[in-house]
Amino acid sequence: MFRPTRRTLVAWGLGAALLATPALAPALANEPQYGGTLRFATLGLDTADPHRHTGSIAVQQAYAEALTSIADDGSVKPWLAESFSVTDDGTAYTFTLRDGVTFHNGEVMDADAVKANFERIKANVTKGWLASAMKLVDGFEAPDDRTFVVKMQEPYAAFLSLISEAWILSPQSPGWDDTITTPIGTGPFVFGEWTPQVELIAPKHEAYWQEGLPYLDAVHFDLRDAADENALALRSGDLHVARVSRDALPELRADEAIDVQFLKDTTWYFWSFNNRSPNPPFDNLKVREAVALALDKSAYMNFIAGADGIVTNQMAIPGNFYHDADLHASGAHAKPNLTQAKEILAQEGVDPSTVTVEMVSWQTPYAEVAAQMVKELGFDVNHRALDDLGAQNALGAYDWDLAPMASGPRADIFLRFVRFMSDGPNPVLWGGVQDEALDALINAGVTTVDAQERRAIYLKAWQHIMDNYYTVVAGHASNAFGVRDDVGGFTTGFTWSPNRVDGGLAFTHLKPAD
Amino acid sequence: MSVSTVRRGVRRPGFSLSLVLPVGFVALVVAAAVIGPQLVGVDPLAQNLLSRNEGPSAAFPLGTDHLGRDVLARLIVGARLSLWTGFLGLFAALLIGGVLGLIATMVRGPFELAFFGAVDLVRAMPGVLLALLLVVALGAGIGPVALALGITFAPFFAHVARATYRREHGMTYVTAARTFGASERWILSFHILPNISGAFVTMAAIILPRCIVTESVLSFLGLGVEPDTPTWGRMIAQAARFLERNPTAVLAPVLALSLFTLSLTLVGDRLRARFDPWRLVGSRS
Amino acid sequence: MREVAALAGLLRAAGLVVGITLLIFLFVRVVPGDVVDLVGIEGGLTDAMKEEMRQELGLNQSLGQQFVLWVGQLAQGDFGLSIRYHRPVADLIARALPTTLQLAALSFTIGLVLGVGAAVAAVTWPRSVWPSVVQALNVWSIAVPTFCAGLLLIFVFVLWLGWMPLLGNLWLASIILGVDVAGQLTKPLHEDLKETLNATFVKTARAKGIRPILVIWRHVLPNSLSVLLSLSGLVLAGLVGGTITMELLFGLPGLGKLALDSVLGRDYPAIQAVAVILAVSVVMVNALVDLLARLIDPRLS
Repeated sequence: MFRPTRRTLVAWGLGAALLATPALAPALANEPQYGGTLRFATLGLDTADPHRHTGSIAVQQAYAEALTSIADDGSVKPWLAESFSVTDDGTAYTFTLRDGVTFHNGEVMDADAVKANFERIKANVTKGWLASAMKLVDGFEAPDDRTFVVKMQEPYAAFLSLISEAWILSPQSPGWDDTITTPIGTGPFVFGEWTPQVELIAPKHEAYWQEGLPYLDAVHFDLRDAADENALALRSGDLHVARVSRDALPELRADEAIDVQFLKDTTWYFWSFNNRSPNPPFDNLKVREAVALALDKSAYMNFIAGADGIVTNQMAIPGNFYHDADLHASGAHAKPNLTQAKEILAQEGVDPSTVTVEMVSWQTPYAEVAAQMVKELGFDVNHRALDDLGAQNALGAYDWDLAPMASGPRADIFLRFVRFMSDGPNPVLWGGVQDEALDALINAGVTTVDAQERRAIYLKAWQHIMDNYYTVVAGHASNAFGVRDDVGGFTTGFTWSPNRVDGGLAFTHLKPAD
Repeated sequence: MSVSTVRRGVRRPGFSLSLVLPVGFVALVVAAAVIGPQLVGVDPLAQNLLSRNEGPSAAFPLGTDHLGRDVLARLIVGARLSLWTGFLGLFAALLIGGVLGLIATMVRGPFELAFFGAVDLVRAMPGVLLALLLVVALGAGIGPVALALGITFAPFFAHVARATYRREHGMTYVTAARTFGASERWILSFHILPNISGAFVTMAAIILPRCIVTESVLSFLGLGVEPDTPTWGRMIAQAARFLERNPTAVLAPVLALSLFTLSLTLVGDRLRARFDPWRLVGSRS
Repeated sequence: MREVAALAGLLRAAGLVVGITLLIFLFVRVVPGDVVDLVGIEGGLTDAMKEEMRQELGLNQSLGQQFVLWVGQLAQGDFGLSIRYHRPVADLIARALPTTLQLAALSFTIGLVLGVGAAVAAVTWPRSVWPSVVQALNVWSIAVPTFCAGLLLIFVFVLWLGWMPLLGNLWLASIILGVDVAGQLTKPLHEDLKETLNATFVKTARAKGIRPILVIWRHVLPNSLSVLLSLSGLVLAGLVGGTITMELLFGLPGLGKLALDSVLGRDYPAIQAVAVILAVSVVMVNALVDLLARLIDPRLS
């Protein structure tokens, strides 16, 4: 027997990250018109099998939905589940499924289908975001058509947030036993014609469960992921809504026909040291401290995002539930101090002119700024700027010293912490930390049901990361979207997700031409 | 077969503008590459984050790029790096194509067959595609790019080497020398090499601009040299994102690259007018 | 004799196709770290899963076996499965091919009309502006790499004047490549036309009082057809490189973009397939041009 209580539900609500920004309700001043094809440019899509994705999640939700959804304020809301409850000890979740939800093929979404999806994820997706949660699962149950139960060995605070990316598909989807080639979901749009790196044409799902939605006849996803060109295409009217590079914002803001919006959660920018096998002198914490003192956070974030940049020393920005104001105020590296840095190097007997810092980054201008800042200390810098996979490969070799990197919005703060765990997914951007004490702290955090207690533990874990100079946070900036004025009802979400419980493509409509 | 052909009627003995201008510009670029960086005294990598994407001013004659770096200083150092990469590529092509080709032609037998088979293969591949594949295999940086350029352009030298060798070898004076007891080595060094080197110089003048342009294309595709190596191609690629806000930073290297390529080609044309290696190669794929 | 030469040309082309296929196959195997390792980095595969994947992809067999297998598949039009997208590579190519063909055809047509037109006009009216046009086209194609020309035109027409969109602008891309093609064609063609004009049979025709323009159309141009053909073959091969940069610059979803994306994504089956298709079509075009030129102009045999 599970006893869902009001207290646990409130705790979950609080536990999710809260932002000051109020959720923008779709502005429906005028009656939205039906019809039209929205041309929408966002990040790419790396696979047709939502369960197996390893890249961005900016497209999937349009055709595949989950039991929960991250609302625009970062909280977790029921979605394909009408409601959910958790036992007091946090080890059993009961989901009551929404009635009358059908997949694109007309099949009814019932508890058996949901169970099949979770079983597929547990068995097939052995690494990635959901893997650590799935390892804790004792079993899935489907006692009746509309009830789905997950039993866990121990509490897992991020579970409800995480399953907002556990997409529910019809087990009839082609390729189900291996790699799904055409996902059949419940979303407002159907997975139509996909040309990788080019486009996805997604026509309307006529029998969508939300009454009267979607408004659009189809969404034409532009998957070229060309943030620079998107800004021009947006201005010429070739795109309706597009992810744009921050470099293009001055021109976009000057254009009256375009509104600039930001994702509610931020991308965080940081300098990681090689933690898996550090080379001298960067195995010395004092030397790391000196390097951190060379980081001029204000200049760095101003370069990246201009006035929109946020300087802090944490993974969460001011206003977020997990942000700590005292820690922010006491930040030892709020300002650069080259004199002190050089003194430290001298004390440690390090002559920077004899040291070459091996730096790995993506092909991005801010990495060159980072290289310049490190050079200010007198170090020589060998900077290798590589494409995505090249950088991944080079970082994974752990023969470097410093990596100025960035990481995008996440559904739950745990997804940022998990990167620091010894068996975390893709830890290379953070130098492959292997620290049992830190693992224990993060584990303690994620298994703590009470939100305030969990926050305190996470802060301890973060302090531990800072003390060891595993990574140094420069600050945060949000990803920008440009929206043309003939588009109504579109709002950006907390993460990249284009379809959410309280906003996104289902609510978007095109205004008739005047 | 150059611009001057048209003006043949009015050409006076001595200097013609169509030769002076390109030679002058090539000399200017070479001078900039050799002594420019010392003369300018501005660090082409120094960033001024407070003055980014600025137009030309007294402090920055060609303005600054997106990192606030002096475009003029970068253009001058870029001349050195572009030329250096181009020359390395040329040198690699000469070694791989010219020297190996000459040896293969002299040795004959299976080695010649295998070598020129490989040369034919490389020549049949579209240039940019081949260079792209090679850079992926070899990695980024000046060295790998130069090697990729070398392999891509080696066939031109190989064919010139074979054609010239065969032609000279059949010449009466060589046969005569042999009858008079000259050793093969003597014939090679005193009869064949001087002739081949003339053909190589001409071919080099044709290939060098191609090397520089191909490097810039690779850089533009994001596959060339490292970011702190401001070749002209890398400069164009980096500044292209800010074309609208700061056209100077793009147009300056574009102009430099175009004029230099043109000048080199015109000079090469003059050399070719004396001795046409294309005729020996047969085609210019 | 002609048949023998033609046959030799075809055999040579066939040899090149086999060689290129082998070369590209080996190239992919030379790159450090196999496909599975690279996928593993991203997807976080366990060693057991990697082993399974290698079995599946046939990477455990000897190089020779792998090559035979791959060529066998190629011959059946099976280009394998894209590692990144789990789609048949043939499918990706089928989607990209029309764009590239369009771009190449349009560019080539523009180049042919412009290049031949300028050359013919220049020999017809040697004292007009046309010889300078021939020179200008030639100088432009030598001096301005197509991606630079692209940036210049984007600056003027898209950003400054705001006359046209950037993404998917097939026309602007084709014009840039077309002018480049014209520049490569026009000057050698002009030289050849001038040479023919001085030939005895043309002088005879002129002496008979036939109008100069008719002489050029009836006698001079047909005579230069084989030169034009071989030039076209070479230009088409060069177009392959041009389409890659144009597709990147104008966001055109063609083979060049597919090649570049595959390279950046280390999608080796896709790289192999695109490279083979591009290289083999260049060889085929050249063989065809060679054959045609021999048919038209028996002197070549």
